[in-house]
Amino acid sequence: MSTHADAHDHHHHEPGLQHQFENMGQQEESVSIGMWMFLVQEIMFFGGLFTAYMVFRWRYPMAFAEGSNHLDAFWGGLNTIVLIVSSLTMALTVYYAQKGMRNMQVIMIALTMLFGTVFLGVKAIEYTDKYNNGLIPVAGWNKKSTGAEVAEKAQAFAFPWEIRTEAADAGHGEKKPYINPRGDFQWNYGHKLVEQAEKGGYLTADEKIHYYSNGVFDPFKFQEKVRLFYFIYFVMTGLHALHMVVGLLLMAWLLWKAWLGTFSALYYSPVEMSGLYWHFVDIVWIFLFPLLYLLGRHFIH
Amino acid sequence: MQNADAFNPSLMREPKDSYLTNGYSIKSWLLTKDHKRIALMYLISISVFFLMGGLYAAAIRLELLTPNTDLLQSATYNKAFTQHGILMIFFFLIPSIPATLGNFLLPLMIGAKDLALPRINLLSLYLYWIGGILTLYALMQGGVDTGWTFYTPYSTTFSNSYVMAVGLGIFINGFSSILTGLNFIVTIHTMRAPGMTWFRLPLFVWAHYATSLVMILGTPVVAITVLLLAIERVVRVGIFDPAIGGDPILFQHLFWFYSHPAVYIMILPGMGVISEVISNFSRKKIFGYEFIAFSSIAIAVFGFLVWGHHMFVSGQSIYAGLVFSFLTMVVAVPSAIKVFNWTATMYKGSISYDTPMLYAIGFLGLFLVGGLTGLFLGSVGLTVHLTDTYFVVAHFHYVMVGGQVIAYLAGIHYWWPKMTGKMYSEFWGKVSAMLVFIGFNLTFFPQFILGYQGMPRRYASYPAEFQVLNIFSTAGASVLGVGLLMPVVYLTHSIFAGKPAGDNPWMLPGLEWRCQSPPTTYNFEEQPVVTWEAYEFGEENGLDIEEARRSAGSPVTV
Amino acid sequence: MQTDWIPLFPESASSFSWQIDALYFYLIGISVAFMIPIVAAIFWFVVRYREREKFATPEEIHGSIVLETVWSIIPFIISMTIFLGGAVVYYTQYRMPDDAMQVYVVGKQWMWKIQHETGQREINQLHVPVNTKVKLTMTTEDVLHDFSIPAFRTKADVVPGRYTYLWFEATKPGTYHLFCAEYCGLNHSGMIGSVVVLEQDDFERWLQGNAASQTPVEQGRDLFENKLGCASCHAGGSGQRGAVLENIYGKEVKFVGGGTAIVNDEYLRNSILNPSSQVVEGYQPIMPTFKGQVTEEQLMALVAYIKSLSGVDASATAPSAPAAPAPAPANNMGSNSNQGGR
Repeated sequence: MSTHADAHDHHHHEPGLQHQFENMGQQEESVSIGMWMFLVQEIMFFGGLFTAYMVFRWRYPMAFAEGSNHLDAFWGGLNTIVLIVSSLTMALTVYYAQKGMRNMQVIMIALTMLFGTVFLGVKAIEYTDKYNNGLIPVAGWNKKSTGAEVAEKAQAFAFPWEIRTEAADAGHGEKKPYINPRGDFQWNYGHKLVEQAEKGGYLTADEKIHYYSNGVFDPFKFQEKVRLFYFIYFVMTGLHALHMVVGLLLMAWLLWKAWLGTFSALYYSPVEMSGLYWHFVDIVWIFLFPLLYLLGRHFIH
Repeated sequence: MQNADAFNPSLMREPKDSYLTNGYSIKSWLLTKDHKRIALMYLISISVFFLMGGLYAAAIRLELLTPNTDLLQSATYNKAFTQHGILMIFFFLIPSIPATLGNFLLPLMIGAKDLALPRINLLSLYLYWIGGILTLYALMQGGVDTGWTFYTPYSTTFSNSYVMAVGLGIFINGFSSILTGLNFIVTIHTMRAPGMTWFRLPLFVWAHYATSLVMILGTPVVAITVLLLAIERVVRVGIFDPAIGGDPILFQHLFWFYSHPAVYIMILPGMGVISEVISNFSRKKIFGYEFIAFSSIAIAVFGFLVWGHHMFVSGQSIYAGLVFSFLTMVVAVPSAIKVFNWTATMYKGSISYDTPMLYAIGFLGLFLVGGLTGLFLGSVGLTVHLTDTYFVVAHFHYVMVGGQVIAYLAGIHYWWPKMTGKMYSEFWGKVSAMLVFIGFNLTFFPQFILGYQGMPRRYASYPAEFQVLNIFSTAGASVLGVGLLMPVVYLTHSIFAGKPAGDNPWMLPGLEWRCQSPPTTYNFEEQPVVTWEAYEFGEENGLDIEEARRSAGSPVTV
Repeated sequence: MQTDWIPLFPESASSFSWQIDALYFYLIGISVAFMIPIVAAIFWFVVRYREREKFATPEEIHGSIVLETVWSIIPFIISMTIFLGGAVVYYTQYRMPDDAMQVYVVGKQWMWKIQHETGQREINQLHVPVNTKVKLTMTTEDVLHDFSIPAFRTKADVVPGRYTYLWFEATKPGTYHLFCAEYCGLNHSGMIGSVVVLEQDDFERWLQGNAASQTPVEQGRDLFENKLGCASCHAGGSGQRGAVLENIYGKEVKFVGGGTAIVNDEYLRNSILNPSSQVVEGYQPIMPTFKGQVTEEQLMALVAYIKSLSGVDASATAPSAPAAPAPAPANNMGSNSNQGGR
């Protein structure tokens, strides 16, 4: 019997058409459904983490609020804006690809990559800050220091319109010596929110048991709950950052292909699919930001 | 040359060119995009894992011959049942039918040249191999002893075994599963030949569609769970260890959220095979096509709502228990509907006793027992007594082995002539089917009784009064083992010395039978145009029955 | 409900076990009622409709909405009855009564520690009076375990960090299996014991001390093999984790970290109360202390039994070696003589 090539030659004139497809429309539809299915499973993947977050926030809201207060909402907010803008440049990439305008495509992809890199850079700043202040939840993974150096101000940002009270300012602006010989997780910022909750009577049943030993507030037990928050914070943002890195690699490939002029009105599906992925990574961050960074802000009365 | 009328290949012939002969180098196999080659490589790989899982099973049953831990020490026994579970579930049962039969047949059944995303298919295979090798490496180094369920805090804090490595192996393997499911969904949506509408699809395809939904939605959850488990083990901080405020029950919820739907990943493709075999070997349209199709989807959807029935005694609230029990009863109904429909299909059919049909009939009986005992376990009051006893072990082996493995064997035997172009020995096929059926029942039925008596599972030693039933069970296991090994021998033999099967040895209407056996690399000479409904036997659908009856017995080489 | 006549059927010894059995028989009945017609139909069809002509084409039957509806609704209704039956029984099993006798249970790898409200402690055994509601408040020190009493048809997991509960009312005096039914590691199958149901006055007597009069050696053996679970580590055959105790009386032993001692009564007593203070070379320091769980009388019985394993009379004494780090024999167990000598 003859080889398969003869029977299928007539398909190869369409640019980028894979051999298993009859026509471009089928290929594009397939790739599109494939990408959506992939994104659905990514949602389920992050879903497990969101579930864990929900369970522990439900149980220990004050510990979560305290931990959240010491994430820098300025950097987080900046990252949110950066990603939203990068989604805009991504959408424009798709637009210009459709139009076949090569130079604009390349510029837009480059901008998208720039914003993605800025995002990762900011994350590096944030993670370093946590490292310097003993907020990485794994023993031994924080900066080891005997206190000889005075630590930088522990970062905690309050929006200008928030009423600053003593509770909000706890631990802010003061220079405290950072003593952490073994690089342990340390929580040195008190528990003003717990005290407020105690007075206001809105501690949860779990909190009433698990923050206290023999009726007295136990800072170590509380620290362990805050450490849970930071664990979830690092796993969620870390996994997200990993997806961001993959996104940048995808963009690099796309940049190369766009530079070669591969995309036009006839064939721009890879750009669209990459766009879907990029938007997805953006949306995950849109959920992460308020859940992780903006907790307990309204408790600052 | 191939018959000009591509839809009438009724002559038994041995084709010179096929997907098997299209390139002999290692590279042509390892870098193939051909779904059929990928399916074959999966077939060999999962058979290897099945054999290893079976060896662990043999060790377990031998140890349980006596009440004391005399053959294996407790530590070794704990590893044996853990590894039996892990290898069988993650590396055999979950991929088995979808990765071998699904990969091979889906494009053929819908009239396509290949799956929609062949390179993703190859990636699935590689991920399976990498996950498998990592797990095997961990097993060689000392293995795991946590039970395949990895309950915390034992697995995070107390076990002295290779939990992280095995966890990562399972994590990687999970993505193999996800990508297979993704590929199937896309393929079924976009690659159907003209005229192949949704309700003309073979039920095997519907079954795989439902399975793929579960694979895509459920597997990522176990992936993140296992990842968190591995992290917790390595850095000693996490969300499952109560010593730091974590919750061991959270692990159970996250784990079972996938692992319950996982059992539907295992059984739905098996049900798809059974639909095909019963209908085709009764030469009768399946009874209640739409009902079977929709019940597959219903099982997939409802399967996501019942995970708590694995946790009735774990400390979840009474009310949660009641809700999960109710939903478990609901999910049983679609399976019952299928069993009735299959039985009704045989009414007024023309039933041949070929090996695949014997397996399918065995499936009906065994799956019935397995499913009914599922009701025992879904009924909360009764399950408190039965949880964590051998009753559960017997139940899941009835549905997984008596159900899924038998369906898998039915499928392998049914489509063997299509995949290899050769026929195996019917005599030996029938003998092993009998041995499997008898051995299986002898192995697992006594375990229902043991379970009700209270013998807990995962016990290396047990009170002496349980010994007699354990001896029966082990005796049955030896028969079952022989029955399961025999196909390896006669199927392999058929590849070299079997009779050429011809393109359509049983004169069946499915699209997969209207191409060469074994198929060429691109399956069909020209894209088929489908103008008939599913399961329509008879001459009007292009099957030259008279010709087939005449020429049966005279092979032609082309 | 009388079920003793059924072969291969477990004993039924609690107030609600008949309900579980009834549910079980109901389900068996339904299963048989479904299986018989279906299996019969399969056999009948397979024979009656076997192929008579190769490649025949029987008449097509697409389906039947009526049949589909019938065999969807009826199984659904039946499954709902099963659900309701199960729910009622479950409620009975897991709704804790208010007026029950309280017992506390702590699981740990690999034993059950039980304490009665009156202070009585037990290991791997639970004595209860007949016809009295008993409520167990349970937790675990380490991993998940499960307190399972098949004869009472009930069980519940024990979870670290919280309390779980179980209740029953025993109806027949006797000794029933107690199993751990949640895999917990190495000696999961060894974490077994018994629930001993006694008549009311026998139970009173038990609460006050020894139930039967035994010689010290017999009492010691009973404690060693049954009540305290020593045998699980010290009589497990080759590869056991605990020191071999046969024929050691009067011998010299070497400790991890140096030091020796002659095995005598003091040494044995100290090993039980303060095992980590003197670990013999070649063994791990994993023996838990039994301080607070054995009376002096029981200690003497244990020592007598262990001596008997060396063929030595209970009354004999071995000389003490000068270097032995033996604590002063205190008469009250509360003395915290923490020698720490290694």
